[in-house]
Amino acid sequence: MKRTRPLLVGLFSLALLVTACGDGDGGATTTAAPDDGATTTAAPDDGATTTAAPDDGATTTEVAGEPIVVGAIFDLSGPTSDVGVPFAEGAKAYIEWLNANGGVEGRPIELLSQDYLYDSAVAEQLFSQFVSEGAVAFFGWGTGDTEALRTRVTEDEIPFQSASYAETLVDPAETPYNFVPAATYSQQLRIALRHIADEAGGEHVEVALFHHDSPFGLSPLEDGHQYIADAGLDIGFQNYPMPGGAVDYFGELSQASAQGAEYIIVQNVSSPAGQLARDIDSQGIEATLFCLNWCADELLVELAGDATEGALGVLPFAPSSQATGDLSAVEAYLSDTGQSLDEVNLHFTQGWYQFSVVVAAMEYALAEGMDLTGPNIKTALEEMPPLETPVTSAIKFSADSHAGMEDVRVYEVQDGNWVAITDAITP
Amino acid sequence: MAAITTGIYHRSYRSEQALRHTTVEYVRLSLAIAALLVLPFVASPFWMTVANQVGIAVVGAIGLNILTGYTGQISLGQGGFLAVGAYTSGLLVARLGVPTVLAVLIAVLTTAAVGAFFGLPALRLKGLYLAIATLAAQFIILWVVRNWTAVTGGVDSLVVPRPAIGDSVLRSDFAWYWVIGIVAALCVIATRNLFRTGLGRAFMAIRDHDIAAEAIGVDVVRYKVLAFAVSSGFVGLAGALTAHYRSIVTFERFTLEVSILYLAIIIVGGLGSILGSILGAGFMIVLPAIINQAGQSLQGSFLARQLPAIQLGVFGLVIVLFLIFEPRGLARIWQRAKDYFRLWPFRY
Repeated sequence: MKRTRPLLVGLFSLALLVTACGDGDGGATTTAAPDDGATTTAAPDDGATTTAAPDDGATTTEVAGEPIVVGAIFDLSGPTSDVGVPFAEGAKAYIEWLNANGGVEGRPIELLSQDYLYDSAVAEQLFSQFVSEGAVAFFGWGTGDTEALRTRVTEDEIPFQSASYAETLVDPAETPYNFVPAATYSQQLRIALRHIADEAGGEHVEVALFHHDSPFGLSPLEDGHQYIADAGLDIGFQNYPMPGGAVDYFGELSQASAQGAEYIIVQNVSSPAGQLARDIDSQGIEATLFCLNWCADELLVELAGDATEGALGVLPFAPSSQATGDLSAVEAYLSDTGQSLDEVNLHFTQGWYQFSVVVAAMEYALAEGMDLTGPNIKTALEEMPPLETPVTSAIKFSADSHAGMEDVRVYEVQDGNWVAITDAITP
Repeated sequence: MAAITTGIYHRSYRSEQALRHTTVEYVRLSLAIAALLVLPFVASPFWMTVANQVGIAVVGAIGLNILTGYTGQISLGQGGFLAVGAYTSGLLVARLGVPTVLAVLIAVLTTAAVGAFFGLPALRLKGLYLAIATLAAQFIILWVVRNWTAVTGGVDSLVVPRPAIGDSVLRSDFAWYWVIGIVAALCVIATRNLFRTGLGRAFMAIRDHDIAAEAIGVDVVRYKVLAFAVSSGFVGLAGALTAHYRSIVTFERFTLEVSILYLAIIIVGGLGSILGSILGAGFMIVLPAIINQAGQSLQGSFLARQLPAIQLGVFGLVIVLFLIFEPRGLARIWQRAKDYFRLWPFRY
């Protein structure tokens, strides 16, 4: 004990040192413009933000005025961090760009954000904290924490936009403050099934749904069955949970082969989907991979290479090469930081434009003379005209539905790139 | 060995059985209670949420400590029993409109019954084998929750209406602090008294040597099952509190990780000690929250990217260090601190 006590003391001191060496303000990271209304998007000198700041020479517009506080939680190190990190980078980049280009009617957005490690308990703690610090809108992430915070969000009247596109979040009668800007998982599945049925031309086709073993993965399942029944599609539909941490999916694939599945729809994130693609290839299974939005991205192609050739996908947020509009704002921001549009994946633009939805609502609210409070932003989200973005169909909410998008194009991997092969499909 | 306070003479059984004997002990207790009473008025919302989570964990940890610390029956089914309590209470209020207090009581009794059922393997198994048998409870209960869609709603989350006292609805962290605090205090007092009764002594006898206990007349079969029942009752109470505090129940909150977290709580806090349950619950929930807050102030430095790994690393390191240097946990550390001051300048 005598020799080990100094070791213990040393370790403890190191831990304290690490904690103490943090930045003085002790608050969550902010991307607010500095108080003197300076005209750059440079992070405050103590380096409290994690995104690169552009050169001071960039052209900027002065923002001064009361900051609008917005809270966000990101998964930067948890199980969905492969898509969470680029999403967070895109979102923070958007806020920086916005603050450098006039803010919201001259007011900067102050983004309070934190990595929550995909832990619902931490999400609750951070929600309490950011709301107490004045957040008027909140960006959640996963299905688990969005569900856990659902009642609090309604009680606290904070408009909550999530990266969870579960259909349970779009009924204002149940979740008046939750908004889903992209097509819901159920809608994406319906679109996929519609496309499959159209391609099959009336013949019977077997479809397997491989999904994450969680509420996120199971979210579209019932609605998928319901759609097949309602639309009278001749589809045999079975689901196979993908166990977390599995190193291969041979077992599930042999069951899907036995079913005779011609299409394997995947409701999961890119890493397990990439493993699945490689397994399909190595097993020589004759089935087409059909990814829903969280695995239909460049990361999948990177992970599984040639195995993804010919794979289909439902991409509510298009890759930049397939954009239907002008991405010059994103390009300008990226070139200031020494990057180009080709280097960022579609989740970056997804984060960018998903955050722009709430900002558009704030601009609408201010234009209508409303104060920026939670209930007013909610009303603005419901009443504002359809929002056009370069990478999505028009996003429109209403008092009856908080699903922003009903139709999405279907894409195919051609030569390692996602290429749109249909117009926007409404199932 | 704890230092014996000398110079205290009892003239009645009643005074001998008092929980506190010396002035110092009363002062410490008063200070602790005063701190708990003042906390909600000075803490930020973040720390109030943490405090409420700690309060619920205290109730659950006391339950598990009764089973594992006092009766020596290791159990990995904690998450499952929490789920039983949460879903029972939540479903009764949400679907049948049962008053919240009654629903919680029914949840406690239901979880006790379920716990007694899954405790039956304990009659033939010990140690690691019993751990695996209780692990089965964890998986079976979660499987039932996920697939008994007609009752539990399957994987969909269950929204539980907030309880109301008269006209005001129990919504804020501040209000819940008092409710959870009172419930936790009652659980602490109840458990403390439990181990001054014959039932409690029977539990400890089983822990120490169950064959010898049988020999002196302790009905091991009855008391082992009863230990599971009592323990699960407390855990069911914690689950029910979780359901009403968060007003939403999802099965994802009751996985194996939760069972292991509770085992870690009682090991770090101290097996067989109520103070250990309290300190362990506080430590294991506040430590990640502190690291989280530290992480916020570190953002931007080179450590920021590594921070999540550091968080997990520090957490694990702390548990390992505890097990190496003080396997009897925080309660023992507290005891040694008290003895140091009591015996100073002597060493023993």
